[in-house]
Amino acid sequence: MSVCTGILVSKHCVLKRMEDSSKEEYRIQSFDMETQKLLKTALKDPGSVDLEKVSNVIVDQSLKDQVFSKEAGRICFTIVQAEAKQSSSSVFRRNLLNRLQQEFKAREDTRKKSTQEWVCLVSFICNIFDYLKVNNMPMMALVHPVYDCLFRLAQPDALKNEEEVDCLVLQLHRIGEQLEKMNLQRMDELFCLLRDGFLLQDGLSSLGRLLLLEILEFRAGSWTLSETAQKYYYSEVTD
Amino acid sequence: MSYTHKYRRDDDCKVDENRNKGSLRWSHCRKRGADGSVRGPQREAESTQSSSKREHRPQRPESFTTPESEGPVSRIRNWGDEVEADEMRTSVRRDMQRYRRRILAGEFVQRERKTSSGSSDSRDSRDSPAPGDIETDETVLMRRQKQINYGKNTLAYDRYIKEVPKHLRKPGIHPRTPNKFKKYSRRSWDQQIKLWKVKLHAWDPPAEEGSDLQAVYVLLWVCGGYYYGLHSN
Repeated sequence: MSVCTGILVSKHCVLKRMEDSSKEEYRIQSFDMETQKLLKTALKDPGSVDLEKVSNVIVDQSLKDQVFSKEAGRICFTIVQAEAKQSSSSVFRRNLLNRLQQEFKAREDTRKKSTQEWVCLVSFICNIFDYLKVNNMPMMALVHPVYDCLFRLAQPDALKNEEEVDCLVLQLHRIGEQLEKMNLQRMDELFCLLRDGFLLQDGLSSLGRLLLLEILEFRAGSWTLSETAQKYYYSEVTD
Repeated sequence: MSYTHKYRRDDDCKVDENRNKGSLRWSHCRKRGADGSVRGPQREAESTQSSSKREHRPQRPESFTTPESEGPVSRIRNWGDEVEADEMRTSVRRDMQRYRRRILAGEFVQRERKTSSGSSDSRDSRDSPAPGDIETDETVLMRRQKQINYGKNTLAYDRYIKEVPKHLRKPGIHPRTPNKFKKYSRRSWDQQIKLWKVKLHAWDPPAEEGSDLQAVYVLLWVCGGYYYGLHSN
């Protein structure tokens, strides 16, 4: 049952389906040649490179490059696995996570400085959460930090920003179901905020409203969109 | 060892709540606070650099001392350590399920007691424990697993497993990893680990030309020569 039946949303915008990410696996084209070489070596022979440097390079780029921030988890996971196989160690993962933790702690300042960097940070943390599984399970340590980021995006000042709403719904599409399994209560609280934001808040753009409505329906349908909803949100309106 | 402290931290986080409550209740009797410092007049506890999820808890000191720890243990968690502890915990749980299944499937066969040469364990390591009689305390299991990991993370172990596949191992001659799921006293377990690691040294790589180890041998030889030279006067 759709949560928001009866509320008219003027639909002069339509949602773009999310990019197919299976094409270029690691998306490292945005790095300079030397760094690309470093990363490729890290993937094959992690013991031969400075893994702390590699993790910093990856985090730095994720904060600048929107495309990379959404897919960096993949390359990180491969390096983690390669290192574990080669030397049963987890130097790269440890460095990556600790650096990420620093960035997370400074997130409010980052948001003030640059919305784009903030949005990249959230995408990156969520992508890491998605890909870096430990014994096939998501990392417990990241659950609350991820929620903290999403809650921040659900605040009134962030909902006014299309960029931030877009980031929020993207993450929920990708990892919402997993997050909910790890902590149902916080997901419920988050969606209360989103529902209230959608219904009550001034200053939302129509695209922002549409994005929120779609995610509300998405979760209400157990993290999947019905066919009718798909048609509503993702196909062109013929007037 | 500092490595041990990180794992204690995990457990202490749960136990700490009670400890702190206890200290509040009896604070007038205690000379020292939870962090080991001598109590003076009541002062604000330092704020921790904890993530927002801990904001609702009362402020606690940044470090604390327990009877088991070798000094103040930091409460500041970093994600790297947390994930490693997480990984070990899930590995240990998975191992336990696998072990339980193997016991129930009757994979371990009762054998006659043999006098095994190097083992401090008087019980034959092949006796199968009853399913209810295994070590389940996660703190213990994680500590034991860490000790096993130290032993397995060596060149000697790598060379050993390449040289001697499991089915060719002879009891008494070939070292066998202590079974972390069996009930042993702390001393017994620590001794088993020690002896196991000593046995593994038999597979240490030989000192290479120009290696550190060779340099040590040369140094000892030189010093030895100097010593004897001195005493021959």
